[in-house]
Amino acid sequence: MLDMQHIIKVYRTDLVETHALRDFSVTVAEGEFVAVTGPSGSGKTTFLNIAGLLETPDGGRYQLDGDDVGTLGDDARAGIRNQRIGFIFQGFNLIPDLDVFDNVDVPLRYRGFVTRDRRARIERSLELVGLAARMRHLPSQLSGGQQQRVAIARAIAGDPRFLLADEPTGNLDSLMARQIMDLLAEINRQGTTIVLVTHDPELARRAHRNIHVMDGQVTDLKPYAARGAAPDAAVA
Amino acid sequence: MEIRPILSALLRNRTGALLVGLQVAITLAVIANAFFIIASRLEKIRRPTGIDTPNLIFAESEGYAPDYEHAATLSSDLALLKGIAGVVAVTSTNSVPLSGGGSANNYHATPDPKAAPIAGNYFEVNADFIDAYGLTLVAGRAFRAEEFTPVPANNDLPPVLILTETMAKTAFGAEPALGKRLYDENGKSGEVIGIVSDMQGSWLGNTRPGPQDLVFHPNGGFGKTWRYVIRVRPGERDRLLPQIEKALNGSGHGRAIIWVRPHEYWLTRTFRADRRMVVFLSTLVILMTAVTALGIIGLATFQVNARRKQIGTRRALGARRADIVRYFQLENGLLGAGGVVIGALLAYAASGWLTNAFQMPPLPPLYVLASALALLALGQLAVLWPARRAGAIDPAVATRTV
Ligand SMILES: Nc1ncnc2c1ncn2[C@@H]1O[C@H](COP(=O)(O)OP(=O)(O)OP(=O)(O)O)[C@@H](O)[C@H]1O
Ligand SMILES: [Mg+2]
Repeated sequence: MLDMQHIIKVYRTDLVETHALRDFSVTVAEGEFVAVTGPSGSGKTTFLNIAGLLETPDGGRYQLDGDDVGTLGDDARAGIRNQRIGFIFQGFNLIPDLDVFDNVDVPLRYRGFVTRDRRARIERSLELVGLAARMRHLPSQLSGGQQQRVAIARAIAGDPRFLLADEPTGNLDSLMARQIMDLLAEINRQGTTIVLVTHDPELARRAHRNIHVMDGQVTDLKPYAARGAAPDAAVA
Repeated sequence: MEIRPILSALLRNRTGALLVGLQVAITLAVIANAFFIIASRLEKIRRPTGIDTPNLIFAESEGYAPDYEHAATLSSDLALLKGIAGVVAVTSTNSVPLSGGGSANNYHATPDPKAAPIAGNYFEVNADFIDAYGLTLVAGRAFRAEEFTPVPANNDLPPVLILTETMAKTAFGAEPALGKRLYDENGKSGEVIGIVSDMQGSWLGNTRPGPQDLVFHPNGGFGKTWRYVIRVRPGERDRLLPQIEKALNGSGHGRAIIWVRPHEYWLTRTFRADRRMVVFLSTLVILMTAVTALGIIGLATFQVNARRKQIGTRRALGARRADIVRYFQLENGLLGAGGVVIGALLAYAASGWLTNAFQMPPLPPLYVLASALALLALGQLAVLWPARRAGAIDPAVATRTV
């Protein structure tokens, strides 16, 4: 479903030119759970931002579901982000002034769903992450793990087919991190394609496949199975 | 559509919103009342005088010589002034309209001196006064030359009178005034022989007599000080004024010409305070709205900067630029609406105080409504620039900021 060929991304500041991605090519199939690893500054977030249509590439071709999305206008990209993609951030990125319910509601409102539909989706996704009882809590009244679960509920409430997560467990302790991973595995099992950036080899191992990024290029594409375990075993 | 979450976010960041909302409220209270005062003053300044103000020159003469002859001087002056090329008509007059000085009398509609008095502002003029002031005869006839008494023997009402239309209504109501008589305190009376179009009398803003309650007496009056109204052809005033002054000064008679001035001199003087008030209040309105606009821009800019990550996240979750811009517009609209509601209450409180303290008429709702709409529009205009900057925030901010 995701097909990137020869993607280039260059950041220019007054002083330096950073080649964040150079001839970056990767494909992700429908239903896959892919972990992206690599050293700091190697271009993982840049890849994820381009994949999620938050940034535009400076070169190469990017097709999402067969559509050329590299050249779309700003509003069209916002529309695709809203309907086809779910984002999970390292810093949770909940809106501090809104309670849990309203936070999950944010992308649904931009989608233009009617109130009753939105309410049903919010309740269902909060149920899934186990926070249905905390709907009127503010983010500041929740633990980090709970906040990230709210963010996951927000990401999946619109039923995106594609979930992007940039170090979703980076700010959590290992127990909470494992809960988040369990949740992502469950979501993946229900059919959502997931691309996960992580530093943690332990977590990366739970994906179907690892993409190793080094210096703005994919160095190594290892199917998880090649390491000698079935993906389902990790999910359980 | 997304009012509820915006409102709850607004209520969680109360301080700034409260201050700017209060600023909007106070501004509304001040500008609604200021606009009302400005409008009343402008109406007063622009009210037609009823006479041919742009083409009128007034002159004052004062006899000083022991052998000064009032009646002779008067008829000689009138002849002299009428003889100047460019002069249309001339009359003597006891006072200058809108100058703030003049004469008033209590008249009665019946010989009974205990009948309710009818206050009238009287002008002592000669037979040509209708032309000289630039009035029109509405009913009846003008004074005849022989009805003019240069130096009346006593204070009695003259046998013939002319009223303005307003005075005719004040004295006789709906009944036709023509042929009726007005009486003085001594039971002496004059017959109303003519009705002329309205003009402003000696005092604006009086109620007894009202500003247009005028009675014309065909008299030259007592004393040695007298005035003339000289009406000239349009555009000739400034050229003729020095010429008239010179002619009067050179005509002898043992008197001095105290001044020769265009009628506009008195208008300028009479309305000086009103003009100053208009300028002062307009400046106040401009300053207050400017400060309020800056307050709105400041708060919105602060909110945009404080919410960069949130805005980036909203963009990442699918908000278009226009959605972000609209968020801030709606937020400002809610803030403005709250401010305007409180402001309307404050405006009426201020108006009540002005009514009590300065006998001002009460503030019409239209001024509050119009000022409120203007302030809301101003708020939308002010928030546009910070809102656009918010819309331009990069969605990548969502992943790039911790
Ligand atoms: N907006 C930007 N302007 C300039 N340089 C940037 C910008 N964003 C990223 N870079 C540079 O691009 C390179 C790749 O950055 P990226 O964030 O993709 O790395 P990463 O693999 O996600 O690193 P980390 O593991 O630390 O998150 C880095 O050298 C970074 O400094
Ligand atoms: Mg990164």
